[in-house]
Amino acid sequence: MSKTDKTKQKEEMKSLEILIIDDNEQITKMLTTFLELKDHKCTVANDGKEGLSLIKKSRHDVILLDLAMPEFDGYSVIKDLEENNALKNHKIIVFTASTITQEELDELVKRGVTSYILKPIDIDVLLSKLVETANQ
Amino acid sequence: MTLTETVEEGMFQTENPIHELNRMLVRYDLTPNQSKVYLFLSKIGIKTASEISKALKIPRTETYHLLSTLQQKGIIFSVFGKPTKFNAVGLDESLEILLNNERNRISELEAGKESLIKLWNIIPKYGEDDEESQDNKFQSLQGRNSILVKLEQMIKESKENILVLGTDADFKRFYFTEFTELLDKTKSELKILTDHKADMPNIFENIEAKKVKKIEDKSREDFCFIIKDDSEVIFFISNNKVKDMLAVWTDSKAFVTTLRSLFSLMWKKSHHLNETDAESLLGSEITYEHRLREIEQEKMILSYLQDNFKILEKGEKKK
Repeated sequence: MSKTDKTKQKEEMKSLEILIIDDNEQITKMLTTFLELKDHKCTVANDGKEGLSLIKKSRHDVILLDLAMPEFDGYSVIKDLEENNALKNHKIIVFTASTITQEELDELVKRGVTSYILKPIDIDVLLSKLVETANQ
Repeated sequence: MTLTETVEEGMFQTENPIHELNRMLVRYDLTPNQSKVYLFLSKIGIKTASEISKALKIPRTETYHLLSTLQQKGIIFSVFGKPTKFNAVGLDESLEILLNNERNRISELEAGKESLIKLWNIIPKYGEDDEESQDNKFQSLQGRNSILVKLEQMIKESKENILVLGTDADFKRFYFTEFTELLDKTKSELKILTDHKADMPNIFENIEAKKVKKIEDKSREDFCFIIKDDSEVIFFISNNKVKDMLAVWTDSKAFVTTLRSLFSLMWKKSHHLNETDAESLLGSEITYEHRLREIEQEKMILSYLQDNFKILEKGEKKK
């Protein structure tokens, strides 16, 4: 195994601090169980306001952010971080089931969101995306 | 007493629209007697001071004084002759003149505001600032105008959020004021919980629909309050009549937090005005298609977890 491959493998094995902001409690609970089985640490916020406060309070390797949430939604979280020039300081993956166009997704990335995942997604693909984003 | 005199006197003594007009004119900075004299001249036409005094049963000296004030205001004029007679400017024009007078008065007050504050700041302050700021302040507000002034100040100063709870009837008292316009313009997060129906004209019809929800709990209809930035609240105690409106403003943390919690609970339970029952069940901005994708995602994670637990269980059994 080459040195580069070893480093890559090490990175992949590293336990990640993941923040999940999603109002769907079924998804957050099951996702937490899954990610903890994979030795990652999860923090959950079931609304945008709580999520934003957690983002500001502590550091996370990657943030999974739902867009459609009642009251303070994912767009509001992005807007708040953007207004405080903090959006690019975080690795945010938009994780949404909303009907959203490719242009809108590209626009979010242009604004500073790291990437996006559309629900439903295979859970292994989701995990690789999380690891890949955290190691970017 | 002549027939004309009986009619003239009757105008102001029995229940008729003149009484309502009289009451309304008082709002244009006229005293009840000034308003009486003005309306009398408007309807009856040219009269001497003595005739006015007799018809309206106002002492002659006071009548002269009233006529002089009304002339200064520009809504009646004298006709030269002996004795001097008086007549009124038309109601339309008079209202415009009175409004202009009020506008000018406000402009003068505004112009004087700065020098008044400067003068005030010259006087040294005695007393403990800290003690005052830590106290829970309560202010009783009586009548629509004093409540409105405080409300407008709160909305203008708000930086974070404004939460409004009350029935449409509660807020109808603020028709034709800046109240809803300020709410509409605020940059703070705005949430309104009220009982009005989407298809009926209402005071909040210009506010973005997603900021307004229907009060579902009928027993809560007696509440009416407005919270600013989770730090100040105005709650209404009596709402019966505009004149008797009574409210209390406070920055008491205990009060604000309690009402804030009540609002949050009700907001969570309520749904938006145009929401259908299905949308309400699924969540306002979430479509059916969206919900299906979410369920699909749940299924995918669940099936992965079930498979893994099966493997784990099998492994344990083998051991």
